[in-house]
Amino acid sequence: MTETIDIHAPGVEVKKSACYFCHQNCGVLAYVLDGKVIKIEGDPQHPTNTGGLCCRGNIALQHIDHPARINHPLKRKGERGGNEWEKISWDQAISEIAERINQIKAESGAEAVATAGGTLRTEDWARRRFMNMFGSPNSFHNALLCWIPTFMVETAVSGWSPFETDLGDSRVVILWGFNPGASGMPGMHGYYDLHKAGLKVIVVDPRYSETAAHADLWLPLRPGSDTALSLALLHVVLFEQLYNQEFVANWCVGFEELWEHMKQYTPEWAAPLTWLEPDLIRQAARMYAKNTPGNIQWGCTADQLGKSSGAGMHARAILRAICGNLDCPGGDLMPGPSQNYLCDEELEANDWLPEEQKAKQIGSNKFKLTSWPGYQRISDVAKETWGKAPTAEWMCEAHGPSVFKAILTGDPYQVRALIVNATNPVNSYGDSKMTLAALKQVEFLVTCDYWMTPAALYSDYVIPIAGALERPTLHTNYGVTDSLMASQRAIQPMYERHTDYSFWRDLALATGQDADQWPWLNEEEVFYYIIYPLGLPVESYDQFVEAYRFYYPPLHFYKYGTNGFCTPSRRVELKSSILEELGYPALPTYIGPAENEEDDPAVAAEYPLVLTTGGGFMPYHHSEQFQIQSVRYLRHEPYFTINPVKAEELRIKEGDWCWIETRRGRIRQRANIEPSVDPRVIYAQRGWWYPERGAEGDEPFGCLESNVNVLSSVDDDHCDPIGGSWANRGLLCKVYKVSYWDTIDTTWSIPGSAAQPGVSVLPSESKLAYEPIPFDTSAPFELPEGLTWDYPTKLAWDIERGLAYDPESGWLYHPETYVYYDLETHYAYDPDTETLVDEEGTRYDMTTKQPIGEAQADATAVENPVGDQPDAATNKAALEQAPAKDEGEEAL
Amino acid sequence: MNKHYWTWPIAFYLFLGGLGGGMLFLAGVFDILYSTGNLGAVQLGAIDSFGSILAPGVFVGIVALGIGTALLVFELGQPKVFLRVFLSATAIIKWGAIMLTIAMFAALIYFTFYLTPILPKGFVLPWQDWLWLRDGARGSMLVFGLGIMLYTGILLSSLKSKPFWNTPALPVLFTVSALSTASALLAATAGLVLTPEFMAGAAGQLYGEALTEFMVEQLHFIDSVLVLAELVVLLTYTLLMLGAGNVVAKNVALGWIKGSNAPLFWGGMIVCGLLLPFLFYQIGGMMATVIAPILVLAAGLLLRFMVIFADDRRSVPGEERYYSRLPKGDEGFLSAWK
Amino acid sequence: MTRFVMVIDQRRCIGCQSCTVACRTWNELPIDIIYNPVVSEGVLGVWPNVHQTFTPLLCMHCDNPPCTGCCPCKASQQEPDGIVWVDEKKCMGCKVCVNACPYGARDVNHKEGFVRKCNFCKDRVREGEKPYCVNTCHQKARIFGDLDDPTSEVSQLVNSLQVNTIFPELGTNPQVYYIPDLGGGNR
Repeated sequence: MTETIDIHAPGVEVKKSACYFCHQNCGVLAYVLDGKVIKIEGDPQHPTNTGGLCCRGNIALQHIDHPARINHPLKRKGERGGNEWEKISWDQAISEIAERINQIKAESGAEAVATAGGTLRTEDWARRRFMNMFGSPNSFHNALLCWIPTFMVETAVSGWSPFETDLGDSRVVILWGFNPGASGMPGMHGYYDLHKAGLKVIVVDPRYSETAAHADLWLPLRPGSDTALSLALLHVVLFEQLYNQEFVANWCVGFEELWEHMKQYTPEWAAPLTWLEPDLIRQAARMYAKNTPGNIQWGCTADQLGKSSGAGMHARAILRAICGNLDCPGGDLMPGPSQNYLCDEELEANDWLPEEQKAKQIGSNKFKLTSWPGYQRISDVAKETWGKAPTAEWMCEAHGPSVFKAILTGDPYQVRALIVNATNPVNSYGDSKMTLAALKQVEFLVTCDYWMTPAALYSDYVIPIAGALERPTLHTNYGVTDSLMASQRAIQPMYERHTDYSFWRDLALATGQDADQWPWLNEEEVFYYIIYPLGLPVESYDQFVEAYRFYYPPLHFYKYGTNGFCTPSRRVELKSSILEELGYPALPTYIGPAENEEDDPAVAAEYPLVLTTGGGFMPYHHSEQFQIQSVRYLRHEPYFTINPVKAEELRIKEGDWCWIETRRGRIRQRANIEPSVDPRVIYAQRGWWYPERGAEGDEPFGCLESNVNVLSSVDDDHCDPIGGSWANRGLLCKVYKVSYWDTIDTTWSIPGSAAQPGVSVLPSESKLAYEPIPFDTSAPFELPEGLTWDYPTKLAWDIERGLAYDPESGWLYHPETYVYYDLETHYAYDPDTETLVDEEGTRYDMTTKQPIGEAQADATAVENPVGDQPDAATNKAALEQAPAKDEGEEAL
Repeated sequence: MNKHYWTWPIAFYLFLGGLGGGMLFLAGVFDILYSTGNLGAVQLGAIDSFGSILAPGVFVGIVALGIGTALLVFELGQPKVFLRVFLSATAIIKWGAIMLTIAMFAALIYFTFYLTPILPKGFVLPWQDWLWLRDGARGSMLVFGLGIMLYTGILLSSLKSKPFWNTPALPVLFTVSALSTASALLAATAGLVLTPEFMAGAAGQLYGEALTEFMVEQLHFIDSVLVLAELVVLLTYTLLMLGAGNVVAKNVALGWIKGSNAPLFWGGMIVCGLLLPFLFYQIGGMMATVIAPILVLAAGLLLRFMVIFADDRRSVPGEERYYSRLPKGDEGFLSAWK
Repeated sequence: MTRFVMVIDQRRCIGCQSCTVACRTWNELPIDIIYNPVVSEGVLGVWPNVHQTFTPLLCMHCDNPPCTGCCPCKASQQEPDGIVWVDEKKCMGCKVCVNACPYGARDVNHKEGFVRKCNFCKDRVREGEKPYCVNTCHQKARIFGDLDDPTSEVSQLVNSLQVNTIFPELGTNPQVYYIPDLGGGNR
């Protein structure tokens, strides 16, 4: 009761802390007395939540000292999974882990050590920094399900993915598979207010969600058919000529090819795939395209479709662009990496990772855009444009499921150690049974977590991690925009908990990394280092939090006007050269979702319903908070939603426990019968496990029983070849009641796939959904000796001298000064005297290449030794005389 | 919404309160009627002997009230501080507590006047001859006994939130039932403690057996009438609720008539609790003296149980769905982490 | 005079249950006590023409509360500013008020024995703050204030919009007002 705890009592300090239970990072005021947080409430001054806190934020005090929290480093005693532990000191844990991974590195190479991450609970640049310096390319997140492939595709097409939307001046917004009403709570009231003020809201969701309830137009499509819908919308916009012709003419390339290519994707074509009336699709396209400026809000749905993901993202990127919504007031803003504070990428030390190690990144030979091949390309262009690049820790990662497969199969090589950090992989990665098997099998497993998750249970070491209130948080939006929000620590970590930053730093030093590379003792120091370039009058991070709390630079529009877009051609590449180079279709090309009625009629005959699994629901976030009683009390059992018509047909009654089965296995949840989904659709809640149950048995904590990821697929041919996302939505399933004699065997599965959980086809033998399209990146002319062809710049280079080759004239030239050099002798060409000059200033004849007498070398000689910066006058002269250059350079 | 805040202790309390109140009331009424001799056909003997025959019933009534009160206190969230009940000015429950206290106290005084047969020979209570005290106590006992009977019904019927209770017919039903159970038990206890010594005495010789028989017959007749009355009131009540138009009350009534409670209602209440006792009273003998009172008492208790569990509140749309999905209380997560 | 009331904008409520959790956390309630459930009949209608309404419940702080007069211990009481509350130090747990409340706003935990109910976060309100559920609502669906102050938001809303109360026919005159969700985004 408030009677017992008085937040106004003397000695109570108020700390500007933050909620750390989803991505919103809402401001929290923590009342601290004698090193103990006695009460929290939402911070009314915080821009995100203005005092609001959802279920998850409010339970911070129950979270911080929950009896199930891990408070000390634990070392396994006895059998793996036996749940017997020895409490050891932090230092002992760190040094033993370091010793072991160093040994593995010595024996099998650094790439045999992998790390898995979860969602935003961590300083993941620190993990990346550790891994880069350690030498392993194999760190990964669930990033591929969570917007990262969208970011990469959109960045490839138009130079950045609009994370920031200028909704205040917008006229229409598409919320595509995005339900802020159950995920990011603070956003929802903004949408409501804007909607009330006249913003048109289009919601694309197979379910009547909290957000769909407030839509002007709701497109209840077949789960997983988003790509078909994107293409059909694009078709309408193109052929009803609703696009911004001026923008297309000035700033887009590949429009003619797109026009031809898109003719096939009519709304009538999409109707049977999406279950939407063609007129509804037309209506949506018109509403979006005619109300400019407009936005397509970010959302994760396209990242969870599996193999059809990439084309949908591509189509949506084009849709934004050709409607003229990029970087305009009220439109989709493309801030690029922040110029005003240090980006995560700058802390990641990506340069430390040798090229040969980059090449070993698991999955990078298949899913190229979101791993080193694609990231390198995009990062290079970004650095040219802004001098900074997107973060590698999300955008350039090993393919998580492929790492688990490598643990099980040793293909492409044996991954021997896995450090699991802030994730519960059995629940959050696809094909849970395979993932669980990998966790049981991996040679050395370390888990850093708040709780005893299944991964922690099978670990050799469990590391206690400090959570919300125990750590400062600096939310830089994954480096995709230029604002930040800062919050301070309310108290120091309790017990022997440490932050993940401490873990990586300590582990780095223990594995022998140089302390000079880890100069920041704690988060406050490194955060101060990050915000220091802002140039604000603060002397510490805490001061920044207390005085400023956040940094929102003013919005800049039309940035492309000065530098062009951040793409190789400096234009919006409707036909994407980056995708083309990587062997993917350069134009958005339809491919059906992982399992669908059209392509797999035989599967559909047995599994007639369409399953959607990804949607979040209150009060949980992913697989978290299931231990918090006051939250769990409100939803203590899993419910799947089924339409009343279908339920009656299947004789399912409200609250019945039912099996939901796909070709991978089955789970059980209770029936929630309501017409919020199509009769052909099943919506199953994600994240379910039962941490209150024991650790005994093959399936600890009931981690497979109601876990939707048992149903999802990570087979290579179900994954998106472009970005690697696996299939979470639009899967084919069937539903039937749990009968009297059929209640126990939750690990039951379809023979041949996971009866013995694992991998039935070796990764190197498994095929992708479609074969890479060969793309010739070799030189289009015969290379003179000693030059190297570089496809991205489309130039042959004399790498030693930094000179480019002009195939038309046969001369070399300096790419900045445009001073020409002779191909054989490398003497510079002096246009004034029409002679060649060498480094010493000696002149030579143009044709004979013989030195010319002293007399001829008069005072007009140009002093332009190679390597020195030419002055402006010569530069200009050189430019004027240089042969015609290609379009891209002109834009520079 | 089906969370029951009042359960079996309150059902017992309502039953015992009605029973005890009714016994005190009836004992008082009989004592007054017969002691003044205005029931012409019967030649009455000594006042004392008549009171003696009623006295065991009065005692049983006190005990019933006592147990009922104890259950009420037991059922409180904080039983230790039950005396707070007297703090308020207006609360019905407070009036109930006052009436219970006075009735029990008055009945106890009344009862002491008839202790002679069981007191040691020659021991005389100092107030044995203060007849004004006895008459006063009898009057209070009668008035407050009646009050208690009515109160048990009024307590429930005053709650607007409970459509099945919130009707003036409920006090009628409870009062008739209370009188019926009281007369049945009064008949069964009449003359119980007439000791051999007393019976051997002159008064006992003359009047004991005969009076007891007379009393019992009277009470059986009265109860027969009451049982029929209760049958009519109960059926009327239930039909009233069925047709009342209030969905909640209607659903409860439907549950009684043809739902899950139908066996209890028809078999338990109507047949075993009311029709059979009436029949048995007409048959007489053991059926009337032993079986019928037991059935009447059981029916009285059953009625209180059925009514107390008919505490459905009208729910806001969605409330039932909400509460049906909350934990029942034995779920693992509630006790896994302490 | 001051008359504290709450207005609940059902157009805004999305049923996230944050207020439920926030309330039980702020007030440190036993696990099975809920002052403010957010109830809904679920999605109604025929696919895809459907709708859903959420009704956050709490004590209605009635002008004519049926739960105060029936309390034998003067524990259940109403303040002049309209706040109905239970003084747990006086309550003996007879539960007559629990049964008297038509809104199910009262509950008893058997371990504690006294009746609990929403008191509009009396202590916060007396400090000039808002009840915690109002603060915590991201949707700003709960509006709290003084109905007698014509400049207050609640006064303006109650007097200018069509607002509903729950079970007005019982004569309790509830002081929690609902702005109904009429569907279609409520332009």
